[in-house]
Amino acid sequence: MKRSRSKKRRKVQVPVASMGDIAFLLIIFFLLLSEFAKDKDLPIALPESEQVEKTEAVVVARVAIDSSGDIYFDGDRVDNAKDVEWGIRALLTRTVSDNQRHVQFKCDARLPRETFEPVLKAIAEAGGIIEAVGEKP
Amino acid sequence: MFKRRKQKEKKHHTGEIPTGSFSDIAFLLIIYFLVATTLVKVQSVTADLPTGEKQADAQVDKTPVVNLRGTEIFFSDKKVSVENFNARLAALKLAEQPPENRVIMLESTKDTPYEVYFQALAAISSNHGVVAIVEEDE
Repeated sequence: MKRSRSKKRRKVQVPVASMGDIAFLLIIFFLLLSEFAKDKDLPIALPESEQVEKTEAVVVARVAIDSSGDIYFDGDRVDNAKDVEWGIRALLTRTVSDNQRHVQFKCDARLPRETFEPVLKAIAEAGGIIEAVGEKP
Repeated sequence: MFKRRKQKEKKHHTGEIPTGSFSDIAFLLIIYFLVATTLVKVQSVTADLPTGEKQADAQVDKTPVVNLRGTEIFFSDKKVSVENFNARLAALKLAEQPPENRVIMLESTKDTPYEVYFQALAAISSNHGVVAIVEEDE
């Protein structure tokens, strides 16, 4: 009598019908949250400093200047610093707090002032807080 | 013979879309995304540069000035190393000062590389200073 009961219990199946739905929900979640790094392949030698820290700030835009002095705004090449300013201005029109003003800035360490300073000023003029990317030595 | 073939065709038409392997495909896609995604957390220095027109009556005399001449750093017209520059800034105790007294003027020559500029920016920001870029008169 006891043996037959234990056998019946073993036949219980795990419900797997909703596994597909859960999996697809997870895919949608990852797709929506993923951010593709557009400036990953740019030739930029980052500057070094002891003071750099891992940032938790969410950036509204990414500005980069590669080793040849070309300026990129969110991965797309732009002609000059003025384009960066207008781009950031457009993005910051609906911002309500300082947390939404962070702009990532990557620049090649060897570039002279006349190349990077106009871009830094453009970000500041547009109301962005500069997140200057660097590395620890 | 002909009847048999018809029966076979019917079998194909009556079937529903096979969805049994959907979950497997979905999980494979998840694994792909998990493996292919790189979570990059960059290291950076935060600098909120003030903007506005140059004021003639501004307290320029009291404001510390940092000069970047090529690869050299000058603090109040004295050449300093990066470590020394940090120590000098720390001595100012900018965190305890009111916001208007935290301003550090940053002046640079045309040949100043971004590496040096970044180090100065990082030192000022980490010591709670506010960087004000000095523009050259044209």
